[in-house]
Amino acid sequence: MEKPATHSLPCAAGIGLRAPHYLEVLNERPHLGWVEVHSENFFGGGAPLNTLRQVRNHYPVSLHGVGMGLASTRALDQTHLSDLRRLCDMIQPAAVSEHLCWNASGGYVINDLLPFPYTEEALAHVVSRIDHVQERLDRQLLVENLSSYLSFSHSEMTEGEFMSELADRTGCGILLDVENLYVNTCNLGVDAKAFIASIPVDAVKEFHLAGYSERNGCLVDTHDHPVSTEVWRLYEYALLQIGPRPTLIEWDSDIPALGVLMGEAAEAQRRLEQHDVQAA
Amino acid sequence: MSRLHDTLSDFTYCIITGLGLSDETTAVCPNYRIETALDIYRNNYRGNLHDALSHAYPVIEQLVGKDYFRYLSRHYVDRHPSVSGNLHQYGAEMAEFIAGFESAKGLAYLPDVAELEWACHCAYFAEDAGKLDVMALAKIPQAQYADLILNTHPSCQMVRSDYPIASIWNAHQPDADGDFHVTLDGIPSHTLVSRKDHAVKISALSEPEATWLAWIRSGASLGKSTDAAVNQCAAFDLHGLLLKLIDDGVLIHFTLRSTP
Repeated sequence: MEKPATHSLPCAAGIGLRAPHYLEVLNERPHLGWVEVHSENFFGGGAPLNTLRQVRNHYPVSLHGVGMGLASTRALDQTHLSDLRRLCDMIQPAAVSEHLCWNASGGYVINDLLPFPYTEEALAHVVSRIDHVQERLDRQLLVENLSSYLSFSHSEMTEGEFMSELADRTGCGILLDVENLYVNTCNLGVDAKAFIASIPVDAVKEFHLAGYSERNGCLVDTHDHPVSTEVWRLYEYALLQIGPRPTLIEWDSDIPALGVLMGEAAEAQRRLEQHDVQAA
Repeated sequence: MSRLHDTLSDFTYCIITGLGLSDETTAVCPNYRIETALDIYRNNYRGNLHDALSHAYPVIEQLVGKDYFRYLSRHYVDRHPSVSGNLHQYGAEMAEFIAGFESAKGLAYLPDVAELEWACHCAYFAEDAGKLDVMALAKIPQAQYADLILNTHPSCQMVRSDYPIASIWNAHQPDADGDFHVTLDGIPSHTLVSRKDHAVKISALSEPEATWLAWIRSGASLGKSTDAAVNQCAAFDLHGLLLKLIDDGVLIHFTLRSTP
């Protein structure tokens, strides 16, 4: 059963808002469809929360988590969940998302987004955790596909099939990161078109776009470059197959001037509008 | 939790120790060596934790230099794995760690500077709280002052040191004027960390002021706390301290101790 999103993102291009641009965005109020921030950076109070409250007065905000560990096999961190719930209550975000990954085992947390085998066992496990999170937040969670540098030969289904089952069984939404999907096609031989065909169109609520870098023949999801031609092309394909959705430009390392991000967002916006014209 | 759990623990062990995966974990990558993939995960793990430490301890990093800080953080990561998905919580044991780190023992003040930096880091993210209702406080009859219980803001912390750590910290802030003279005279210092208008602020407290605030923070009444400070120094200026702490947002709330 799909939980209602209290507000929803406009079907426009937005940017990932990071610390170097807080002041500029608040002072200049550039035209942005919406912004997305990393949820954990605003846990607690003080300057970060105060900034986000101000941003929220002017833009729809999406909260994007990097620390929940939906597939970890140790218990969900209840403090983390409470912090997220409180942040949602204060900010009233237009969307809340997490990654389809794990980040903890035993007494260790690995502060990264890690891949796991797509098995029936993992599916039942992640379904119950998403149920719990949606219950706790009292809203729909969007789950993002992962960029991965290895896969597991004992996987019983593809990531797309896994996500499709998640959406079906929990009512969660899908955040399709087009760059992650592209990285996986190059690194792991994932069939991008088959992936897109395998996920339910109606469940897709958001797209992500970003740049990657390359190390020893492996594409790494570094978010430190402009969106590549290949990723733009895959995005256009996704727009055709799925339809227009709120689209985010992510840039997390070697962050450029705000104007550069806005230029990338304008590129995404142009494609969203082109698609609307074609569809009409 | 069977196979999934085994896979994740094996992967975790591989990332943390740098050793390979076991044969049961059937990880594959078609286009490059598996070690290339594993190294990316190992580097992400260490890199993210190093960045978190560098972010929480900018003064320590300046004091010891980037190269030594990287060496220090590598050992810290080995000793203290992350336990939270929120990276802002990583690094709490740095002061204690530096105190026991053999090659850093020449810089005796480092652990205390680290303690001050962690207090500032926590103050930055601490929960919000209201302001003291000064009008309500003014209505309390003077006869009841001694029974006042005062609460401090969640960002408020005190750090005691045998070194002038507030001067060291100030000299390494981005807006410092570069004129850095710190005298290691052995006189204990007390530094108050607080937050005013969302900005973290540090200030020096005298010995009786620190005593007073420590009592207040332990939940003691205004009367008891003031007696302790006056016993230490007859010239203790309660009025001046109260004005400063209210203005700085350190005192946020009061109640009256119920008298039997």
